Parts: sequence; structure tokens; C-alpha cells
Amino acid sequence: MRRTASITLLALTGILLASMACAVTLGPASMSLGSLFTLPNAWKIFWDVRLPRVIAAVLVGCALAVAGTAMQGLFRNSMADPYIIGTSSGGALGATLSIILFAGTGRPVFAFIGATITTFTVYTIARQGGKVPVETLLLSGVALSMLLSAFLSFLMYTAGQSLHQIMFWLMGGFWNVSWDDVRIATLIPVGCLAIYLYARDINIISLGDEEAIHLGVNVERLKQVLLFASAFLTGIAVSIAGAIGFIGLITPHVMRLIVGPDHRILLPAAALAGGILLLWSDTLTRTFAGDMPVGIITACFGAPFFIYLLRSRMKA
Amino acid sequence: MKPVEVIGIDVSYGAKKVLEAISLHAEKGEILGIIGPNGAGKTTLINAMSRIVTPENGEVYLNARNLDSFSFREMAQQVAVVPQGISISFDYTVRDIVMMGRHPYIGRLSSATSHDLEVCDRAMRLANVTHLAGSSVNEISGGERQRVLIARALAQEPKILLLDEATSNLDISHRIEILNIIRNLTDEITVISVFHDLNLAAYYCDRLIMLKEKKVFAIGEPGDVLTRETINAVYGIDVLVRTHPLTGKPYILPVYGSTTKHHQGQNVHVICGGGTGSNLLYVLHREGFEVSAGVLNLLDTDYATATALGIPCITEAPFAAISPGAREDLERCIDAACAVVVTAMPIGRGNIENIRILENYREKPIILFCDDGNQAFQDYAGGEAEAIIRRLLDRGAVTAERIEEVLQVLKRAA
Repeated sequence: MRRTASITLLALTGILLASMACAVTLGPASMSLGSLFTLPNAWKIFWDVRLPRVIAAVLVGCALAVAGTAMQGLFRNSMADPYIIGTSSGGALGATLSIILFAGTGRPVFAFIGATITTFTVYTIARQGGKVPVETLLLSGVALSMLLSAFLSFLMYTAGQSLHQIMFWLMGGFWNVSWDDVRIATLIPVGCLAIYLYARDINIISLGDEEAIHLGVNVERLKQVLLFASAFLTGIAVSIAGAIGFIGLITPHVMRLIVGPDHRILLPAAALAGGILLLWSDTLTRTFAGDMPVGIITACFGAPFFIYLLRSRMKA
Repeated sequence: MKPVEVIGIDVSYGAKKVLEAISLHAEKGEILGIIGPNGAGKTTLINAMSRIVTPENGEVYLNARNLDSFSFREMAQQVAVVPQGISISFDYTVRDIVMMGRHPYIGRLSSATSHDLEVCDRAMRLANVTHLAGSSVNEISGGERQRVLIARALAQEPKILLLDEATSNLDISHRIEILNIIRNLTDEITVISVFHDLNLAAYYCDRLIMLKEKKVFAIGEPGDVLTRETINAVYGIDVLVRTHPLTGKPYILPVYGSTTKHHQGQNVHVICGGGTGSNLLYVLHREGFEVSAGVLNLLDTDYATATALGIPCITEAPFAAISPGAREDLERCIDAACAVVVTAMPIGRGNIENIRILENYREKPIILFCDDGNQAFQDYAGGEAEAIIRRLLDRGAVTAERIEEVLQVLKRAA
């Protein structure tokens, strides 16, 4: 068990590094790694455009996957995800507010605040007598998320922003990522580490709140920590790349099938896999799809996956 | 210093009071059972002792230390809880689940030591789940899963073990298996357990606490707590309390009375004897008739049945004939009854007065009940009994071969 887990983690790390190396060579202007040192333009494209974009995609993928894993453990429900329960929309609304009001100053902070408020609101709405039933959680998340998206669209539209911009925040994309964004994204490993410190607690709370109290977990504090940390990660991810869906849903689910439910292994595995998944989605869109929002790609395989989960849940 | 001491706690859920002024204590190494009907507050009491709910008044002490002063982690080192069952969303292995019992001993930045692994292995051995260690908890049977939860509780190395109907969902063999495991734990562990099955509680517990409507109704050794009166008062059912022939503990036999009484307040007198009336007495009692019986000799089987059912009974000393006093009582009962049922019993000199008296009642409906036709009145009174029966039939007494027929006649007589 331990051994297969470490092999999987090593393999995922290898795949991630290889994918990054591969992704920087791909794009509208295809180039080999060797040409970097011979063509001056190639270095510029590599350093100013592709490298920050690749790093940002990987880190945002990590953030969403780790936030999704934490939420699924906390809500004991493999259908929770920052996008579905509205955290991403809250973050996106926060980010657009900062753009409209302060020309983008403090965008990550606004996104974080928006994400946090939304998460706790959804959690409070869905909570019935100390429990958070799956159905109400998903429905209140979807409802709030629609409302916030409408707000966002309204604000951007009246502020005279292009539809392309609105689309960016609703579906997500990496087309104007710079090194500044990568600098913000370095906060992502910090947030992931914070959640990882609670990996054993997440294992236990996934058995139920009362069970967790019996086993010595301070449940209320753990929930606050996890929701905060998830909102933090989602907020940063959204402020960089808009609201990208389904990464936080699919990755933990698939990884759980491979490495099992122990969050001490699941969290790093999901982080790596989330990075790989989003990196390839982004590479796909910028290379072959004229740089359309990456959220379209993730939704294309994410939504059917979600429907599949829903069906198998209903059968069970 | 008591392992557990609860002093006057009140617990409410919102505006609804669930426990009121509960006080109890547990002695070191004993098994203390909590019994009572649904909604009496048993689970809430367990929850108050494991700090899932906080009492609004009163205190809970563990080894003379106030519950509030424990951190969650310290608490889990003292108290382990085995729930009725848990649904686990993810596919943890049995070993994963049992290792979670070590959580309160492992720091945030450290991982399990070899000591933790040893404790975990021992706990799995004690609960007999070692062979399941690698299986998924969602693929084993309910009985096995309960044993896994017990192993997890033991891995916590608790001083106090709380069981909330830990065996209620299991079949009888698994119940006994698990309760035997628990009873064989060291003398260091104090067990407090909620029971639904009174017979299991009577056998496994050193002492019992009986709850009724949020309050403690009775407390003490099983023999003192489990009586016909307390069970009737708390559960509202009629039972027979016997002594288990092998264990010497009380054993409860429900009377299986129907809760819907169709014939409230209708008086019926039954003349029976030698066990011929037991079944009839039970059915009439269950149907809600105000039944009286007699005259019966003490020691008669029907007398034992009548007393067990709480049916008023006119009695005579063993093997004695019916005295004038008993005869007067009998007259009073017959006067009050809307009908009299006579079962096909052996009639001799001693009890012939029972039917002789009926000849004075010209209008009273009389039912002669010969169960399935197998029994007949056996005359040991030299022909007089047969003669009386014949005269009763002539004047309109009905015969019935099945209890349903008796009930139909009684319905008409009402």
C-alpha cells in the first residue's frame, strides 16, 4: 500500500515535469527545446509567454484539485468542488469588483474574500441540524453561483468591458498570464501545505462529525480551517485564471480510485494530477483551439463525468 | 474517584427538553447498562458523556475531572465511543479505520510510531478482525464492521467505553460475540452501554439505569430494575419476569398484548381450571375485556396465568372446596359481567359450586367453551356436573369451539 502510493506519486511527478517540458514547446509557434538557444525570438516566447503560462496552469490546477479534495473529504461527498458549490463564482465576482473599482489593485485579496464569503454562505444555507446533505449543498451552490455570475456579467457589461473579458471570468483562461501572476501563484503551495497538515484530520472527519469528535478532532475548528484554506486556494486560482470548473471534481475522484482514500497520499496525488490535467487542457486550447477559454475544455469532459457520478450515486 | 460521574444534567435540543436532572455514576470496571423506550434520552445521555452535546445545567466528571476542562484530544484518550454503525463514504481499509483510533496520540507533525502499530494490532486481535486488516470496510458484513469499530475504540486505549446500541443491528450470534468481547476486556475499562434488548442487558450488565421520559426511573442491579412493574410503567407493556434457568439472571417474556383495545370496559367472567382457560384469559385480556376469573384453587395453572396477566381472581386454598365467602365473591363477579364463559374443565366435588351457581342466572348469557372440540367437561361429581351442563344448554347457553366464536358471542352480548 505504502509502496504503491510512493510509486504513484513518483510517477505523477515525472509525468508533470515531462508535461511541462513538452508544453513549452507546443503552441501556435511550434519550437523544439533546442531552438531556445539558437533563435532569439524563441527565447522571448519561451520566457515571457509560455513559461509563466505553464507554471501558472500547473499551480492553478494544483490549487483547484487540493481545494476540491479537501471539500470532498469535509462534506463526505465526492461531488463537492469549488466550482460547483459556488466558491469560484464568489472569487470571480470579488476579482471583477477589484478591477472595476480599483483597476485591479488587490485582485487576489478581493477574490479570496469573495470566495470565502460564498463558501460560508453556501455552507450555512445547506446546513440542516448540523449536517450538510449532498443535495442541498449542490443545489444551494448552483443557485448562488448563478446569482453571482449574473452579478458579475452585469457589472462587467455596464462597466463597458468586452464580452471576451466576461467570458474569461466565467469560463477561465490563461491568455494574459504574466510573471506577476506566477508570483501570486507561489502562495498556492503554501495553502496546499496548510491543508496537508490536516490530512489525517480530513481522513477522520470523512467518517462523520460525531465520529471525528470521538476520535479527538476539534471539528468546528477543522471545518473553519479547511473552508478558509480551500477558499484561499480557490481565490488565488480564480484571480489568476478566472473560474475554471471541474478540475477540483474529477482529479480527487480519479486519484481516489488509484491511491485510495487516505488523504496523506490522496492530497499530493491530486495536486500533481490537477496540475497535469489543467496544463494539458490549457496547452490543448492555446495550440489547437485558438486560445478559447480553458473552462470550455474542462467542462467538456468534466460535466459528463459529473453526470456519470450523479447516475452511479442514484443507482447506489 | 469514580470513572464517570454525572450530576444533575439537563439537556435540550432547541426548545425541546431531552434529559432532565440526570445523575448517575459508574464504578471502575463495571458494565453499566442504559435502558428505556425510544425517545427516553438514552443516546443523548451517551452524547452528553462524550461531549457531542453540552448539558445546559449540571456537570459531568471523568475521574473527578470536569468534562469541560478536557481538550478534544485528551478526551479521546479517555473515552471511546462505539456507535450503532457508521456509513463510510470512502473505501478505507479496516487497518486504516483502526489506526484512526491512534489519532489522539499522534501529533500533527509526526506519524504513527511502532508503538501505535502494536496497539493497533493488539486491538484488532482482541476484536477478532486481524484477518480483515486489508479489506475495505465497505465490503465486510455488518457484524464485522461493528467489530472493526470496537477495535478502533480499543486502539484509543480508553478508560471508559461508551456503546450506543452497538449491537442493535446485528443478529443474535453476532450480538453475543461482540458483548462477550466487551465483557472480557480488562478490569480497567468501564463500560456504559445503551441496550434495547432487556435480556441482553440483564445478562451482561452489573447495574442498569432505566430512563423514562427524560428522567431516571430506576437504577440498580438487573434483578431490582427489571421487574414486571417497572417494565410496565416504563415501556407500557405487560411482561412476565422469570429467572433464566442457566444464568440465574432475570429473563423477560413479553405478553405480546395488542395495543388496540376493542372492548374497553366490558366485563367478562371466566370459570376455568387446570389450564383449560389460560389461552382464553390471555386473548380476552388482550382484546381489552375487563376479565375476572374464578373460583380457582391457588397453584392452579389458570390461576398463575390470571395473576401474570393481572386479572382479578377469586381464589380458594389448594384442594379445598369453594367456601361461602368465595361464593359471594363469585356472585358479585357474575352480576357485574355481561357474560360468563365456562371452559371445558374437569369438574369434581371441589369446584362444582362454580357451575351450580349459574343455574340461578336465568338471563345471563353463558358460553360453554370446548377448545377445538378436543376437550369435554369431565364429570368427576357422579353425574351432577353433566346434568347441570345439560340444563344450562336447555335454557340457552351457547357452545363455542374456537376463541373467535367466543368473541363473536361476547360482541352480541354487549
